[in-house]
Order: sequence, then structure tokens, then C-alpha cells
Amino acid sequence: MENIALTSSPTTPYFPEVNFDVNKGTCEISGESYMEETYKFYLPLINWIKDFTNNIKRPIELNIKLIYLNTSSTKCVLDMLEILKDYEDEGGKVKVKWYYDKSDPDMVDEVEDFEAESGIKIELIEFAQ
Amino acid sequence: MNDTVLIMTGKTILSYKGPFYIELISVFGTNIRNFNDSFSNARKKLFKIFIELSQNVSNYSEDFHMVNNVQRIGVGELTLKETDASYVFTTRNQVKDKDASILAERCELVNASDQLKLRELKREQRLNSPGEKFGARIGLIQAVMLSKNKLEYHIDQINEKFSYFSLTVKVDKN
Repeated sequence: MENIALTSSPTTPYFPEVNFDVNKGTCEISGESYMEETYKFYLPLINWIKDFTNNIKRPIELNIKLIYLNTSSTKCVLDMLEILKDYEDEGGKVKVKWYYDKSDPDMVDEVEDFEAESGIKIELIEFAQ
Repeated sequence: MNDTVLIMTGKTILSYKGPFYIELISVFGTNIRNFNDSFSNARKKLFKIFIELSQNVSNYSEDFHMVNNVQRIGVGELTLKETDASYVFTTRNQVKDKDASILAERCELVNASDQLKLRELKREQRLNSPGEKFGARIGLIQAVMLSKNKLEYHIDQINEKFSYFSLTVKVDKN
């Protein structure tokens, strides 16, 4: 199983930066997410989490630092959270942290919806821009 | 003053007609978010609504360009106007006649729902969406939840197969 490292670029701000590290058991997604063909972008990330939880079976931490994600991206993030919830239910150790800009009043509601829909606990952390 | 009058009298900030490439949507969106220091909360909401509705045109317009015979890019129109109290964003694109009535029904359902009901609908819809190319199917709900104003829609029939569907969302500055 390999790490995933995707850097963001000012010319394509609709793709987030991604760092999934097998050894550390950490998955980080940051920046903005509103690309075309969203599922094509997220499928390898979703499969990585499935692979990690099925085969590596160590503690896993998902850190989301997205300033903006479109509704198609929210569906993909929900897919990831559902996999992590299943892993947690089977005894796996899971931590989900969501870093948000406190000047954005709508992101906290969004995270509450993710918690309700996936059933997983999400730690909200303010980040300084 | 009703919304239609507001749309007619507002100052045009942005107007575009053509293929809705992501590169263009992104540049327009970034400008909307950053074009001045005032009303930053309203502009953050406007940016999110702008991206959602523009991507609906890009993904679903029946008039489209094919890029390299693979990627389908929807063609449509957008207009952003500013009044003293609000931003008014409109998209317009071609749809099949039968889809125009489905869209109109969706707009009516969303307009008839309060914030609590909208949140419920959003959760239900996202959980039940088949995903993949269909996305989350919650763009219209999200637009009303963010703007707290009703959607305005208008259908102009082109022929027995196609219509133009235009959608307007008003974002209050305060």
C-alpha cells in the first residue's frame, strides 16, 4: 500500500491538497474542493481508506482542512466517513478532526450534518487563516 | 419592491454566455469572493451558491460542448447583479421539457420548506444519492439554506423537446 500525496496549485484551486500516509495512519485533505468529475478524484482516496481499514488495521486519523467543498465533494467525504464508522464499529481506532475558519458561519452546521449522517464523532478545531 | 424589480434595476457585476468550463467558474468565483472588503459573509455565501449553480449548468445543460470527444461541458448563461441590499445571481440553460417540470417541482418543494425541513431534506437526499456522476443532488437545497431566500425560476419553452430554465437566488448583504 502506498502513500498518496497531491499538491495544490494556484492555477487549479478547485483541487485540494492531499496527504495520505500509511506509516502514520493519517489522511489529510486541505484547501478547496469543487472540481469536475468529483467522484473520479475521490475514488482513489476512498479506496485507500478501504484498503487501510481492511488490511493495515492500525489506528487511523482523518484531518479535513477544507475552506470550501461543493455538494458533490460532500457526498464523497460522507462516503469516507461511513467507511471509518464501519471500521470503528468493528473495533478499529478512528479519529476525525475538522479544521474550520471561524469566520465561516456555515461550516459548523455542515460538520454537524456529517456527524448525524455518518454517526461518527468529529472534533471541530478552529484554524487561523 | 419585488425581486423582479430588483433584478431589473441592479448594477451588473458579471455577465457570461458560453461553455461553463471549471477554469472560468473558478476565476469568476474567486473574483466574487474577493472583489471588495465589504459584506464578506454575504460574499462567502454568494461564492458557494455561485459554484453550485454554475456547476449545475456545466453538468446538466442539454446544450453542451465536447472537449476531446470525452468531456461534456454545459453551455448556458449567468448574470450577477448588485443592489444596495443584495446580490442577485441568475443562471439560464437548456433542459429537456420533462426535466423542466421536475426542476420546477424541486424548486417548489425547497421553497415550501423551512430551514429545519431543508436540513432534513439535505441529509436524506445526500444519504440516498447514488453518488458517482450524480453528485449529492442537494445544490438547490444548499442555495436556499445559505441565502435564506426563496428560489425564483422561469421556464421558456423552445420547442416540443427543449426549454430554457432560469434560476435566480438573492443573497442579502446583511
